[in-house]
Amino acid sequence: MEMVFIAAAIIIGMGALATGIGFGILGGKLLEATARQPEMANQLQVKTFIMAGLLDAVPMIGVGIAMYLIFVVAG
Amino acid sequence: MKSRQARITHVPLARWLAIEFSGLGIFSLLWLVLHSPLAAYSAFVGGLIFIVPNAWFVHRVYRYQGARNAHLMVGNLFRAETTKIALTAIFFAAVFTLMEPVYVPALLFTFAVMVIAGGALRWLIRPQPRR
Repeated sequence: MEMVFIAAAIIIGMGALATGIGFGILGGKLLEATARQPEMANQLQVKTFIMAGLLDAVPMIGVGIAMYLIFVVAG
Repeated sequence: MKSRQARITHVPLARWLAIEFSGLGIFSLLWLVLHSPLAAYSAFVGGLIFIVPNAWFVHRVYRYQGARNAHLMVGNLFRAETTKIALTAIFFAAVFTLMEPVYVPALLFTFAVMVIAGGALRWLIRPQPRR
């Protein structure tokens, strides 16, 4: 039973870590590029938005599986 | 000399929602035909778990635009993403604890398909800058 909770914690923790790093790099690059070319700010925001969608896809599925493990398999 | 006007990005949220709900309806019908009403119902709930936090994310991300608001833009992006993941976790927890019975494979599979389709949809129908 404890192993299920550990597995769910690892899934959520790793997902959060990866999303944090990814979004940190993405946001940093957006600020950097906007400072260099302010007239491109809106286009850069659109590109960031599209990349954010791709970036959070896997952690979102991970959250779903972790919740399944916690509330259905262990519960 | 060209006059410089501020361009505001139009987010096609209504169009995205219409396409996502249509796709979800078709997917649920497929589950209904191929499996059972319970699977169709679970698939619909799985799709909703993706659509509602994602709509919130889109709504929050485009609150600030332009180079002057770059720091607010990035801050809002982080906040919106955190809220989206938290809402997804809460919805999943609520479904698994409060809804009985649920056909879990249909729920998780539809959720995964909607996540991937949502990313592709943003890429295919991009927000357009307008004067």
